[in-house]
Amino acid sequence: MGAYEGGLSMHSIIDAFQFIGDNLHFMLTKTLEHLALSGAAIAVALVIAIPLGVTLGHLHKGSFLAINASNIGRALPSLAIISIGIGILGIGFINVMVAMVVLAVPPMLTNAYVAVDGVDPDAVEAARAVGMSPGQVLWTVEIPLAVPLMFAGIRTGAVYVVATATLAAIAGGGGLGDVIVNQASYGTAGVIAGALMVTALAFLVEGLFAVIQRLLTPRALRHEEGPAELLAPVVEAT
Amino acid sequence: MRGTMRRLIVWSLLAATMAFGVAACGSDDNSSSSSSTPASSTSAAAPAQPGKGKPPVTIGTKDFTEEFILGELYKGALEAKGYTVNLKKNIGATEIIDTALTSHKIDAYPEYTGESVATVAKRNEPAKTADEEYQLAKEFYEGRGQTVSEPTPFEDVDAIAAPKAYAQKHGLTTMEDLKKLGSFSLGARPEFKNRQQGLAGMKKVYGITKAQFRQLALGVQYQAMDTGKIDTANVFTTDAQLASGKYTVLKDPKGVFGFQNVSFVIDKNKLAQLGGDQFMAVINSVNKLLTTDAMTSMNKAVATDKQDEAAVAKQFLQANKLT
Amino acid sequence: MLAQLALPIAQGGGPVIPTFNRGSDCVRENRQFCWDWFSSHWSSTFQPRLIEHIELTAIAVGIGFVIAFVAALAAYRWDWAVNPATAVFALLYTIPSLAFFQLMVPFTGLTRLSAEIALVSYTLLILFRNMLTGLREVPPDALEAAQAMGLTRRQTLWRVELPLALPAIMAGIRIATVTTISLATVAAFIGVGGLGEPIFNAIQDGFKTQFIAAGVLAVLLALVTDALLVVLQRVLSPWARTRAA
Repeated sequence: MGAYEGGLSMHSIIDAFQFIGDNLHFMLTKTLEHLALSGAAIAVALVIAIPLGVTLGHLHKGSFLAINASNIGRALPSLAIISIGIGILGIGFINVMVAMVVLAVPPMLTNAYVAVDGVDPDAVEAARAVGMSPGQVLWTVEIPLAVPLMFAGIRTGAVYVVATATLAAIAGGGGLGDVIVNQASYGTAGVIAGALMVTALAFLVEGLFAVIQRLLTPRALRHEEGPAELLAPVVEAT
Repeated sequence: MRGTMRRLIVWSLLAATMAFGVAACGSDDNSSSSSSTPASSTSAAAPAQPGKGKPPVTIGTKDFTEEFILGELYKGALEAKGYTVNLKKNIGATEIIDTALTSHKIDAYPEYTGESVATVAKRNEPAKTADEEYQLAKEFYEGRGQTVSEPTPFEDVDAIAAPKAYAQKHGLTTMEDLKKLGSFSLGARPEFKNRQQGLAGMKKVYGITKAQFRQLALGVQYQAMDTGKIDTANVFTTDAQLASGKYTVLKDPKGVFGFQNVSFVIDKNKLAQLGGDQFMAVINSVNKLLTTDAMTSMNKAVATDKQDEAAVAKQFLQANKLT
Repeated sequence: MLAQLALPIAQGGGPVIPTFNRGSDCVRENRQFCWDWFSSHWSSTFQPRLIEHIELTAIAVGIGFVIAFVAALAAYRWDWAVNPATAVFALLYTIPSLAFFQLMVPFTGLTRLSAEIALVSYTLLILFRNMLTGLREVPPDALEAAQAMGLTRRQTLWRVELPLALPAIMAGIRIATVTTISLATVAAFIGVGGLGEPIFNAIQDGFKTQFIAAGVLAVLLALVTDALLVVLQRVLSPWARTRAA
């Protein structure tokens, strides 16, 4: 309120931080709701996409499906998917979660497939030659080598879920979107505060998967990742 | 082989582009809600057109069905008198649309008298009659650079409702009865939580402290009650859904939700540009027709029978010789 | 057409309340999808929103393209510009769309301008990165050959570098367009129309048909546009090898 009411300036950003401080418990509750919703969707998406993508990649089958999944998935408008979900499943946590799973699976699936499918055939042959069973080849050679590209897809999907969960407020899903849509009660400061928290959460989730990736990458393949790679989406050139 | 492929692709591209072109050209009438043209001819004996030559007026409406209908009613009636109306539909809750008014993003909008006093003016003095509420609202707006029309006969007040079974089980007939419940959930639109004519007021006036607030987008509360996601919900007394008999609306003996007749709030300067009294006369001619029956039947046509607000408004205006 | 039977009013002087059309059973019971309602509302509701949506998207991508193009050329020429430009565009990209649209309103009102400012901002990162990457990946041989042929810097840019960067640029346009279509549905939150408007309206009464119709139309728009842009890309650069995403 006051001279800057409705305006945007450094003052507004400071107001936003003040808002978070004044409403810490509330904002943390909303953030946890947001995290819970995102986490559930990411978990379900992982369970669907990774085994499927890895298996198809290992068998070198289903390339058409796996590759076009991400092309089509990337094109799906998130609010439209939520809308169709409401039409079929009604409002609430489950509906939004299903919509977000639909949006998160494609990048995860495609990357998992391409990652495993594209593992250096020489490495695979060498492993076979040594006498490993296909299963052992998969777990000791293919998957570890596939980790970087696979995780690029997982991170893209995860960040997308956190961003889309903001729209959950419209469908009764709760989370930080509740703050962002409620400019009436929380003012511009609240909207900015909500936006800041969502962004922070997206970075957090990104970072979390980056750490997991590092842990799972075989030492020989590790390399330093700069902030630019963590920040921006993967450039695609089909 | 490659040449044939290229040709095929170019032809399909052309075909698709033509398809888009047909779809685009198919709708020449610009029915986007952000602009409109005045009615070129009205009834056979066309009355005076006080709106001709006046600047366009931008009317906003809030985010629910009744307001959409009101917006279309005003638009239709004004256009019949030659005014040019820009209707900005679904702007948002009171706090948002009032900011739009004071920052001149819109010139006018229909507001509920109790809302004006409690939410916009932030006054905590409960009015004892509907007329008193209107006078308080009028006085507030006049002091701020706006002016108001005559109020409508009908009121649309906030209320708390519960599914019939739940209400019967817990013996709920008035708001006082909510104190009997232990913890219960109350689903409502976001702004309801902190308002005096909302949950905050319920706590203060009735001592209802055990309500768990569930934020829902406006309109979702009925589905949420039906599926058992919430125990009670904030509703509007003229909502079409209440006519189904599935819900019990709790009485509000202490009047925490105020009196809520509708009056049209407009910027004073803009009103002067539009011809002052002549303009207001059109608005008042609409408002005086809006009895509770009239409003609820229009709400029902739109909400239950899914008719267009514009069509319903037009039909009503025609039946009452306002267009 | 519309019946106008007047219901008799008990006390004299009340309004005439016409009998409004009754909705079909499908609509009154809110069944999964009411084709009758959809087809009768196509030209009044869905077609205009679809056209608005296309307009919103086309304007945003068009303007975004120009801005990103200038920025990419500048960054290509002056290396130091890359990081600042990327940082700004990336920052804009991370702002949640619901917030961005609302925050524009105090400045530019409940207008298309507010929506377009936000939508353009979201296209910049993708377009900029793809254009820059495309330019940078031009094979050095091609540049040497151009130099050997005596082409000026400008000629090299327009006749060699940009055409070779075209596949990457088109890929960027494709992603940016499809992303914009998705974000434009959220723009309806500040009242500028588009296919998001029926979605937000449908929340009022949980009208399933409206949710599904608007959602499906938006999905179809996105998929068809994506497919058309793929075709366009292949037509414009047949020499490019298509690599799997």
